[in-house]
Amino acid sequence: MSTIVLQLITAFLGSLGFSLLFHLRKQLLLPASIGGLLCWGIYLIGTHYYEGVFVPCLLASASAALYAEILARIKKAPATLFLVPAVVPAIPGSTLYYAMSNAVQGEWDIARSYGYLTIQYALAIAGGISLVWAMSVMLQNVNKQK
Amino acid sequence: MNKRPEIEERNDLLHEFLNLGEMMLGVGAEIKRVEDTLIRMGKAYGADKMNVFVITSSIVITMHFPDGQELTQTRRIMDESGTNFTKLEALNELSRSCCENPLSTEELKKQLEQLNKKPSQALFCIGSVLGAGSFAIFFGGTFLDGMCAAMFALFICLLQNKLKHLCPNNMIFNLLCSFLTGIGICLLTKVYPPLHLDKIMIGDIMLLIPGIAMTNSVRDILVGDTISGVMRLIESLLWAGSIAFGFMLAIRLIGG
Repeated sequence: MSTIVLQLITAFLGSLGFSLLFHLRKQLLLPASIGGLLCWGIYLIGTHYYEGVFVPCLLASASAALYAEILARIKKAPATLFLVPAVVPAIPGSTLYYAMSNAVQGEWDIARSYGYLTIQYALAIAGGISLVWAMSVMLQNVNKQK
Repeated sequence: MNKRPEIEERNDLLHEFLNLGEMMLGVGAEIKRVEDTLIRMGKAYGADKMNVFVITSSIVITMHFPDGQELTQTRRIMDESGTNFTKLEALNELSRSCCENPLSTEELKKQLEQLNKKPSQALFCIGSVLGAGSFAIFFGGTFLDGMCAAMFALFICLLQNKLKHLCPNNMIFNLLCSFLTGIGICLLTKVYPPLHLDKIMIGDIMLLIPGIAMTNSVRDILVGDTISGVMRLIESLLWAGSIAFGFMLAIRLIGG
């Protein structure tokens, strides 16, 4: 339990760090960082119900994208501003590292499985974002038709 | 002979459009956004057809006017793109207001020049420190690991300031940067064994890794901008490879 809380806090702080690094406007820092917390929270809930990393990560990035789209409408700013900091916690930095370090030690089987995990994370993030993007464009087109 | 000034006027305008597009690419806007913005801008300034083609390394615009005149300009994009959301937002705002009531070419030029400022380096460093520290803890490190990762994030900032412009390209810079950082982290964990080498490295890898570029590239491909997506994907894979190689070289030399 305490690791979950710690992860959520550090996900928030990490997103805040990246928002600063990407020169986000001061007024938007807090909502963007909350996106990171939300993204990781959904991921953790997802891992509770689904095996593997793909589905939880897809859900997490889709909800981050949804959050960004909604926030973009409220704050009248491009959605990317909120999306990028929000998905940062899902970026597979650690699996990439373990893939590399096992490859260096000649443990090719372990390295390969970490490599696959890394690819799954990347695909899931991109998939979730694209899904929400496609839906929001369709919604806009429907509204235009009316 | 009466037509010349009009052509010049329109060419100047097109030049400013290219400036706008280049700036947007440079601060991390998506390909789709740049294309959409340029098309809308063109229509607001009286073109009846806009042919805009944007990839990460080039912009091509052909404007077609109702009187039958057609103008084309291209721009090769050489600068590597960073991310600057404040500037992206400002550019977005500028183009949006221009679409509603177009500024004169002169005024547009002035506004764009005004936006072309270097962002503050201090915030960038604070962000790096906070990001690296948090993610070292996030991936299971102790508080002390986080502090060390944060310290090396400062080191990476220093390298980005002093070393980057000396390197022939981004790949070499990342290789060198991760190698030097890796050596530092290895030595530190040798001196003080309770530190976790892997967690500290992961924290700093999160800073260097082109995770955003990679995600964006896959998204570009899924969204339909295949050429840009593939270019960025290969670029970021090479980049990730050079980072991995740098860190591993350091581990091999010093021993984890």
